[in-house]
Amino acid sequence: MPHAGLVVVLPSDPQSLDPRFGTDANSARLADLLHVALTRPGSDGRRVPALAARWEVPDPRTFVFHLRTDFRFPDGSPVTATDVRATYEAVLDPTIASPRRGALAVLSAIETPDDATVVLHTREPFTALLDATGLGVLPAARARDQTEVAIGAGPFRLVEAVRGERIVLRPNPGFPGGPPRIDPLVVRIVPDEVVRVLELRRGGAGLLEDAPEPEVLEWLRRDPALRVTRVPGTSFAYLALNLRDPRLAQRRVRQAIALALDRRALVRFVLGGAARPASGLLAPEHWAYAPAPIPPHDVRRARRLLDRAGFRDPDGPGPRPRFRLVYKTSTDVARRRLAEAIQAALAEVGIAVEIRSYEWGTLYADVRRGNFQLSALTWVGVGDPDLYYLTFHSTMRPPAGYNRGGYASGVMDRLTTEGRRTLDPERRRAVYARIQRRAAHDLPVVPLWWEDRIVVATRRLSGFVPAADGALDSLARASLD
Amino acid sequence: MGAAGRRLLALVPTVVGVATLVFVLVHLVPGDPVDVMLGEWAAPADVQALRHDLGLDRPLLEQYLRFLARAATGDLGDSIAYRMPVRRVIAARYPATLALAGTALGLALVLAIPLGVVAALRPRSAVDRAARVLSLAGVCLPTVWLGPLLILAFAIGLGWLPVSGAGSVRHLVLPAVTLALGMIGVLVRLTRASMITALGEEYVRTARAKGAPAWRVVAVHALRNALLPVTTVVGLQAGALLAGTIVTETIFAWPGLGRLVVQAIDARDYPLVQGCVLAIAFTYVAVNALVDALHRVIDPRFRHES
Repeated sequence: MPHAGLVVVLPSDPQSLDPRFGTDANSARLADLLHVALTRPGSDGRRVPALAARWEVPDPRTFVFHLRTDFRFPDGSPVTATDVRATYEAVLDPTIASPRRGALAVLSAIETPDDATVVLHTREPFTALLDATGLGVLPAARARDQTEVAIGAGPFRLVEAVRGERIVLRPNPGFPGGPPRIDPLVVRIVPDEVVRVLELRRGGAGLLEDAPEPEVLEWLRRDPALRVTRVPGTSFAYLALNLRDPRLAQRRVRQAIALALDRRALVRFVLGGAARPASGLLAPEHWAYAPAPIPPHDVRRARRLLDRAGFRDPDGPGPRPRFRLVYKTSTDVARRRLAEAIQAALAEVGIAVEIRSYEWGTLYADVRRGNFQLSALTWVGVGDPDLYYLTFHSTMRPPAGYNRGGYASGVMDRLTTEGRRTLDPERRRAVYARIQRRAAHDLPVVPLWWEDRIVVATRRLSGFVPAADGALDSLARASLD
Repeated sequence: MGAAGRRLLALVPTVVGVATLVFVLVHLVPGDPVDVMLGEWAAPADVQALRHDLGLDRPLLEQYLRFLARAATGDLGDSIAYRMPVRRVIAARYPATLALAGTALGLALVLAIPLGVVAALRPRSAVDRAARVLSLAGVCLPTVWLGPLLILAFAIGLGWLPVSGAGSVRHLVLPAVTLALGMIGVLVRLTRASMITALGEEYVRTARAKGAPAWRVVAVHALRNALLPVTTVVGLQAGALLAGTIVTETIFAWPGLGRLVVQAIDARDYPLVQGCVLAIAFTYVAVNALVDALHRVIDPRFRHES
């Protein structure tokens, strides 16, 4: 049936098809198709059942998962608690060198009282553990292989993987609820954005997950064979500030930078309108979201704040700036465009910005080491709000966590610690509401926007629901007319 | 030792030089493969352990000497990202790059040399003007622009060829033409100039005076001499051709060595970057050795010199 196959184009290879090793966005997309995990992310940031039909937390250090018994590996063998345990233990084994080991390091013991029950014990109360249960489950016999294992009980099974070229998947016959109707599902790696778009236009691809430039999107919209879908996304774009810099250490300066930016104009200019101005890390769809003020565009107030911070404009509207900052960005066209727009906005209030653009690996290394003053970054896949602990707790400066700007606040430390130790959802929600208001006040980073998710697909594809986080799992229930 | 053996031996310092340069450059670039592999969640002890396993905690000089010693035996180490021997990763991609670069080279020679000859024989004619436009375009048009333009015309507009990917001869056409065009530009101009010079030489006049047929004067007397600088430039241009595969393979999603090296740099996969650059350098050196051998076939004087 030649018409039942679908080609998805991705810009780069997934790091790995093995859930023990892949940590990038494309690995996560493929993992959704090949593997099943205890839980998966829901649309509101909560974990929802997957292999585990339900779970309970009898005490703050114990998580009991009750497994479904109808998930099967492609060879027909059922997925049992033994497989879950073997996979988790393999990740915890230092000789496997799994990048997920850190996320599970809080586990003190794994028990399997029967084939359908897994009990995870943690060393300390840690509510965010559920986020780590998105780990795909491998067959126990293969879980300790040193080489890549891509056998899972997801909706599809791997038929062929040619690195840098294509990954061919076919339905897993034993998938609960019946195997997917798309057969085969081919993931092609096409690095060039223009060529990905042209493949779609020519019919060589049926689904494009990474939104092209706004102008190109308009061109695709005019093609009657294609459907462009836009859904509100949860990826959080922000301006990272290095608080080790004595100027950026002042809240007034950070506030002035936040007020100098016209978010709506930036969204129009950089993203063709496809984003919502953000108040913080958590989007309104998230269960723990609490409204916090979004800094308005107010150039006069920004200038006053800079004056009061002691950075007077030496020549008023003249060319001399109050001070200079270096803005590091990648070589990506859209990122450079954003950098230039921010440079122009900050020039309005008398801050001169020098843009330096680096290849991604170099930029990432610099940001991680705190070797930057300004940089615009994006958080993709925000799950448990414990992320606030990892990004803003004073002990979470790299390499321990993501506090790259070196922010330190006793109040934030106390609140984020309380958040990860509180089990009751309503009390947690109240703690995170205070955290969000605190972050909006202190501005350790300047929130920019939540990026919409734009998916372009052939009109023949039905039943596919674009996910806010870019997940492809609904392809298991989709079909081609 | 024969001339060929001596030539081959002279290539060793070049390859060692390239190996040294790439080792130094790769280690100068900020970023670390362990960071990329383990991500930001990694515990410092795990980072340390993996750095130790990969030998990245040893002194740089020791790492360099180990790399050279292993490379001499053909062992390029294991790829960090692919978790398999570099040799195997490269062996899987090398044929695609050879096919692409080889086809582009073939296309360039088949088109550029006859066009250059005709342009030289009929200066200021329509063919000459067309050759000039083609060579200027070939030299000026960047691949990143030309590639998508050719796709728009031949894959989207006319629907004759696939947009990207590999798997059939049809897939090879657009990337090979894109890659060849720059070389065609250089070779047309060089062949034309070289032929005009040769056609004015005394031996050509003598051949004509002796009543040799026109085709023989052009093909045997003039072209054979005019080809000497052309073959030299073909050897030198092989470097540009191999470098061009990096961009061309990325545009056309061609699964070769050029794309692999970009992926390896992104992942800070030191052994793989080193292996890829060595493979490319070795190819370049081998092509130039072949060009030297060809010189001896074309011009007997080289045989006497050696």
